[in-house]
Amino acid sequence: MEANRGGRTFQRFSVNTNESLHFEPCEDTSSSPTGIEHDEDNVFMKEENESEMTSIRNRLQGKVAEMENFAGHLEEIFLTVEENFGRQEQHLEQHYNDVLQTLSQRHSERAAGLLEEKKSKMEALYSQLLSCGQALDASKELIETAQEIYRTPDKRVFLKTVIPIIKRIEMFAKEKVELTLSTKLEFETPPADLSDVKTMMDSINAVPAPSAPVINPQMSNSATQTSLRVCWSLFSDDTVEYYDLYYRPVLEDTPADGFCEPHVSTVKVKETHCTVTDLLPNAQYELWVTATNTTGISPASEKALYMTVPSPPVIKQRECTSCPDAALIRWESGNTNPVDSYTVELSEMDTDGTQSTVTESIVAVPTCQCLIQLLSGRRYLISVRAVNVGGPSDKSDPVYISTSGTFFYFLEETAHPCLAISEDGFTIFYGDEELPISAIALDDSAFTRCVAILGDLIPVRARHYWEVEVDEGTEFRIGVAYEDTERNSYLGVNASSWCMRHILSSSRHKYEFLHNGWSPDLRITVHPVRIGVALDYDRGTLSFFNVNLEQHLHTFQCHFRNYVQPCFSLDNPGSLTVHNAIEAPEYTFI
Amino acid sequence: MNIFNISKAHKKPLHAHVEQNLLNLSLLNTDIYWSNISTASCVSDYVITLTPTSLDCADGCCSGGEVSGSLARNCDSPRSRMALTQVSSNKCAGGFQKVFEHESVELKCKMKFAVYLPPKAETDKCPVLYWLSGLTCTEQNFITKAGSQLPAAEHGLIIVAPDTSPRGCGIEGEDESWDFGTGAGFYVDATQEPWKTNYRMYSYVTEELPKLINANFPTVPDRISISGHSMGGHGALICALKNPGRYKAVSAFVPICNPVQCPWGQKAFGGYLGSDRSTWEAYDATVLAAAYSGPQLDILIDQGRDDQFLSASQLLPDNLIAVCSEKKIPVVFRLQPGYDHSYFFIYSFMSDHIKHHAKYLNA
Repeated sequence: MEANRGGRTFQRFSVNTNESLHFEPCEDTSSSPTGIEHDEDNVFMKEENESEMTSIRNRLQGKVAEMENFAGHLEEIFLTVEENFGRQEQHLEQHYNDVLQTLSQRHSERAAGLLEEKKSKMEALYSQLLSCGQALDASKELIETAQEIYRTPDKRVFLKTVIPIIKRIEMFAKEKVELTLSTKLEFETPPADLSDVKTMMDSINAVPAPSAPVINPQMSNSATQTSLRVCWSLFSDDTVEYYDLYYRPVLEDTPADGFCEPHVSTVKVKETHCTVTDLLPNAQYELWVTATNTTGISPASEKALYMTVPSPPVIKQRECTSCPDAALIRWESGNTNPVDSYTVELSEMDTDGTQSTVTESIVAVPTCQCLIQLLSGRRYLISVRAVNVGGPSDKSDPVYISTSGTFFYFLEETAHPCLAISEDGFTIFYGDEELPISAIALDDSAFTRCVAILGDLIPVRARHYWEVEVDEGTEFRIGVAYEDTERNSYLGVNASSWCMRHILSSSRHKYEFLHNGWSPDLRITVHPVRIGVALDYDRGTLSFFNVNLEQHLHTFQCHFRNYVQPCFSLDNPGSLTVHNAIEAPEYTFI
Repeated sequence: MNIFNISKAHKKPLHAHVEQNLLNLSLLNTDIYWSNISTASCVSDYVITLTPTSLDCADGCCSGGEVSGSLARNCDSPRSRMALTQVSSNKCAGGFQKVFEHESVELKCKMKFAVYLPPKAETDKCPVLYWLSGLTCTEQNFITKAGSQLPAAEHGLIIVAPDTSPRGCGIEGEDESWDFGTGAGFYVDATQEPWKTNYRMYSYVTEELPKLINANFPTVPDRISISGHSMGGHGALICALKNPGRYKAVSAFVPICNPVQCPWGQKAFGGYLGSDRSTWEAYDATVLAAAYSGPQLDILIDQGRDDQFLSASQLLPDNLIAVCSEKKIPVVFRLQPGYDHSYFFIYSFMSDHIKHHAKYLNA
């Protein structure tokens, strides 16, 4: 078992190097597994031998596997050592190259310096020589002139010219001759500054400081509302003892004073990942990381922006409406800052109340409401998640929706101040009491004259049915109206509302079916106390029924150009109760 | 299921065949019904051969498994002829508007009636709406002027519209007035001469006619309702009030609500029933309503506001409404502005009424 690597031969196994290479010889090899028993009656012996054989064989196989495993590991280690060696060699070579380069650079610098010095000295000397030569020439000339003058026959001329010459000679004689050399003959040798080379030599043996780590961008679904999972990596062979992760929140606005920087927090980790906790939801954080070893700290990585997941939204239970084909869900964001979008999740509930495992999701909902198409006669559990760059939030608390019949609450902001609404949200009361000043409606959408309120019907052009329960003596108006019906007008008096009106005069019941101030002339002999209202957008009909008698009372024929809302008013103190989520009886939509 | 061989035995074989697929058979206990909607006329007798069991009839009109003639509901009932003669047939609104004639036992004369068969009747049994016409009308006015066929087809209802009185009986004075005698039967069973033999419109409408209809057409016998106009409105109301639970719905156009208090009623009842006013009350809707006890009714009444007879106090709907309010009998009474007493008014609101009937007949 030998391997050839790069021309060198290595033995994979060396008998005495590792304990684990020793393995116990198989037991019971003495018993002959292949011994053929002639005694055919001795079935048990035969079987025993066979089983022994099998177990021995299994053990052998196990040992072989172990050995093979070990061999694999060794090979890996071998390769790693080879790699490490290669790297170190390279590293060394580079280092020494650097040192050599530096030294030769220094050398050439010094040599150049010396040359310069020499040049300057030579020049100085040369110029000195020149000036000496000049002085020599000048004195020579003077002497010649003096001699010439001395030799002048004419004494008169001689007297005229001799005095300046004498003066010149005197001056010249007084001149001191500079005989010292202008420059030194020796060269200066300043001490060589080889400290940095020394450092380099020293550092060959030292581990370099790490290079900057690379911080990863945020992975999807790795964040929670209060934590972020950050990962980074080191794309070099540096040794790292630990990492320092720094993070601070990114503020939306720069603070007014300009000095208050958000606090930077730090975590020390040994791994290349970290989960940072105690954060705010739906917030952006800036993170960077440094690596440290014995030599020093790496430069900081690039700054990465991570975002925590938003807080879950809160479904507004009293603002959800439904009908057999659809549901409208409304919610509050649950976050002070905006989120990117919302995801609505729905799952059907079986008849026995258990939730189906199948969940349908509607993603990229831009606003805090969603109209969902559903199947009639079912029950659903619907919840919402807020989504940002960091991922989706937890599920909101769910809302139960049943698609049998049409379901709605009152639009409380439209209530006349004299109306009180029951806690369950389905009964309105008009009390006798004086209206306190404080209760005067400040809301634009509240009714001011007619003691009325609107319902929040789902905006779906389908068939809708609801029932209204009244007392014998209650004078009421019930029907539908456009959302923008005049709030200072009575129901049925204008063209934006249709209603059935009950008037009680001296215990005689009178009925009107009002629209645009007009009503047909009808007599109804049995006073209805439970009135069914059936709205059909496609056929353009609004019908009223005495539910207890299944008796049809009246039908308005009208084309509804917009969506309408159920409307209710009490013309005398009393109450009325809305019953909905009722499947429309067959006779209502013949 | 036994298969019945139906063949016609006749001394003179007829050229027309009874088409098998037009015969509707249903087996209800020991009663056998069949109907013949073929266009062949004059089918009067059937011979029914039953195999394997033979049918014994108590009155001896059958023997050896052979029954000749039509079967009555009970074997001991008079051997009435349920024979119809088709007078006309027109395709209308996808179905057929037909008129038949027959010899009436109650009225002892030939009587015509109109039957509308909706498209649904070709394949299924349908409920029946009985329409009673008003003074001077025959079976024709309703089928040509009321606009009933389209809504009847839509809701799958058979509409039967009889004549308003016996005709051609040769009674003295029968043609003298338009509001008494011919065309003015008032849906009573007369007790006074010379009217009592023939003028039995109440029994005709409530007994004879339904049996005849059920025997000859694909009906659901217990799903019937009744309606009418003016005198027929009065007829519809009293039939419903006198037969609690029998009619699934009732409605009326401009009915005579309180005949004992109005000129028309007083004239007619006086003539048909005599001077004892107590006998009149049995045929007065307002009086009957005051004494009504039975399954809940749901009455729809349309009244034109410009009806001259309303202002002439012939109709008196307020009396009926007052009593119904008192007795908690559900009524929706609509006063329609601008409308009068005519068939134009009926035409305008006929679909509302048919819808009202269909709600109960198809429930």
